[in-house]
Amino acid sequence: MLNVLIRKDISQVILMFDYSNATHYQRILLFCVSVLLSSTLEAEQKPYAPEKIEGVAIVSAEEVIEMILADPDLIVIDSRKKTEYLKGHIEGAINLLNTRLKREEFERISADKSRKILFYCNGVRCLRSSDSINKVKEWGYTNLIWFRGGWKEWSEKRLPVVTD
Amino acid sequence: MIGIVAIILSLFAGSYFKQAALDAQMNSLSRVIEVASQEMLKQVRHHTFDLGMKLGHSRELISTINSLSEPGNQQKLVEILDDPFVNGFVGFSNVDLKKIRVYNLQLDLIGESSARPGELGDKLADYLTAIVTEREKSDRLKAVDALWMSPEGPLFSSLTPIGGLRPIGYLEIIVNPVFNLPDIGNITKTPLHIYSISGELVNKDAQDLTGDYLPVEFTLHASDGTPAFRIVGYENVDELNREMEQTQTVTINGFLLLSLGTLLFALWLFNRFLFSPVSRMVDDMQQITHGKLELTVNNRGLREFHVLANAFNAMTDQVRTRTNDLQRLLDLDDSALMCFDHDNDAVYFNKGATKLFGYSSDEIIDLDFADLFSDDIAQLMKEAAEMKELHQGNLRVQLECKHKNGDKFQSDAIINSIDVMGKSGFAIALNPTPGSENPASPQNDQRINAVEQTLSSLLSFARDNPGVMSELGNLGHAESTAAGVDAQKSQLREHVVQVMNLSLTCWEHNLGKSKIELADESKIWPVYIDKSTPTTRTLDKYLNIDNCPKNPRCQRVIDTAEFVLKKTASKNAPEQKQLQAALDEFRLLISGMKTKSR
Repeated sequence: MLNVLIRKDISQVILMFDYSNATHYQRILLFCVSVLLSSTLEAEQKPYAPEKIEGVAIVSAEEVIEMILADPDLIVIDSRKKTEYLKGHIEGAINLLNTRLKREEFERISADKSRKILFYCNGVRCLRSSDSINKVKEWGYTNLIWFRGGWKEWSEKRLPVVTD
Repeated sequence: MIGIVAIILSLFAGSYFKQAALDAQMNSLSRVIEVASQEMLKQVRHHTFDLGMKLGHSRELISTINSLSEPGNQQKLVEILDDPFVNGFVGFSNVDLKKIRVYNLQLDLIGESSARPGELGDKLADYLTAIVTEREKSDRLKAVDALWMSPEGPLFSSLTPIGGLRPIGYLEIIVNPVFNLPDIGNITKTPLHIYSISGELVNKDAQDLTGDYLPVEFTLHASDGTPAFRIVGYENVDELNREMEQTQTVTINGFLLLSLGTLLFALWLFNRFLFSPVSRMVDDMQQITHGKLELTVNNRGLREFHVLANAFNAMTDQVRTRTNDLQRLLDLDDSALMCFDHDNDAVYFNKGATKLFGYSSDEIIDLDFADLFSDDIAQLMKEAAEMKELHQGNLRVQLECKHKNGDKFQSDAIINSIDVMGKSGFAIALNPTPGSENPASPQNDQRINAVEQTLSSLLSFARDNPGVMSELGNLGHAESTAAGVDAQKSQLREHVVQVMNLSLTCWEHNLGKSKIELADESKIWPVYIDKSTPTTRTLDKYLNIDNCPKNPRCQRVIDTAEFVLKKTASKNAPEQKQLQAALDEFRLLISGMKTKSR
């Protein structure tokens, strides 16, 4: 992220560069570099979620179903935006956006820090659920599960969805 | 012949190209229809899935199914299933909902909507049954779709679980795909007709079939592989031909432009690396051959030209060195060496000659026999030849010479007849100290022969390269004579005399000064002291047509006229206008002669 930000800053610096003192060739070169850098940044603006999170189990959609059916006390956290949640979500999921995740609120949902909690968001190019997991991990929760494929995998497999 | 063959080939190629393009377009359209039909089914599937999920999570439906055996619940189930037909649902206008049916987990039909009755049977389509029964555990929760053949024709069904992750049965949403099939035409942008397998037209899009169209058929199969529909797209042949012609035109023009561009680029390359360097080299070489030996040929360019230019420069350098050596040798000789052309004008003289006669280099070139010798050398040579007194072609005599200051003195001379510019001339070697050396000694003969050969070589070189040797300044004019332009030279001399006389008249009338003063002030003409009397011998020659040199020094004439015009500028006399007009005419004549000589 920092890398992206740094590179973005460089791009902006280049785009804002004072071309008045540059020669013809320098102007063309700077223009090409800025265009190239800008397009590269565009492609990199949607980064991938981490492959794994230390101490967190990653599960597939089928495993999510089996876990829900096997453990009625399993808490499922949907880390997406409210509008996305309302369009469709996994049965029993609680909508809790990562940026609004507060320790007190989360402890009200699950005071037991060893309880199984499953997180998901939009998919492998969404960083919300991994961000939520990292926060919750810092608060001492130990039994965390990550459905990394998220909503994309769930809907592609045409599994049951709940719409409100 | 080649043109006819080219035309026939282009016609043949055009026809072949059109046919190939038409075939390709048809194949392409068939493929596009296939992809578009899949896209259409995907959109239908999306709507049926949404409706299935909505109903499948309905608490009312779930509780009714759970208590289906209770009285009235069967009817209630039908009412619930009829609700989407009555009150609509999201995407209602996008599909043609045919029926909604409910099955238990064993896929037995337990209820169906009553709206839009039909003969669909009481069983789930075999294809769907097979898929669901083959699935295990969580896979059974996944929705499944199929295009299947009912007794009423092809229908599309989506089977979704009722009750979410803990299913109590299955819900089948059945729609008529014929309603959506015309959407394919919106994707392919062509008129589209949908036929049943039996050939009956079941639907078509709104586009008109006016013009020349070519049908392209695609068979849409049901999920079990049975042919379901014949979808016929119509390709507008006129439009296709127009596009092909446009493509052909663009291609040909593009090719021509590319060819032209390549040709121009090739020409530029040739010009840059071949024609221009060669032209520059030729210009340089011509200037060098016209006497500018100090120039060098530009050797920038391709390697071959570089080598050629270097070779030429080396050759020029050799010529310059050898010429200078020869001239230096002649200058080093003690004798006064002189060369006169057919018109008795001096064309070469060494330093010994200028020293002996007391003239400067500029002065002596204006002189002829009569100015330097009292004897008629031509006559002497003629008489000697008749008397057979020539010794090895040389005439040894004592000549009476005239010094610049008017003194006369005797000098031993060896006169040789030589070729000067293709005509007979004379080379004269004068011994500066008469009587001190025997002119007939063998050493002197050898020296004279060597000098004669050197002089001949120089003259020959100067003839081929006019202007190369500054001392041989008259040779260029001599060549003109040799070229047979006597009439022009005569005209030139007349103009010279006219301009000079007008200059003198203008000078004398406007300034009241003499001819001597003109020569003295202008520094153009030498003033001689002849027996203590100043004379302008050279200038005098230019005032009389009979005495005017055969090769007059035109630049001196122009300089004189300009000098006089400048000095008399304030007078505004009629002589000035005459002189100016004569000078202009003279310049025109000279420029005309130069152009012709080039």
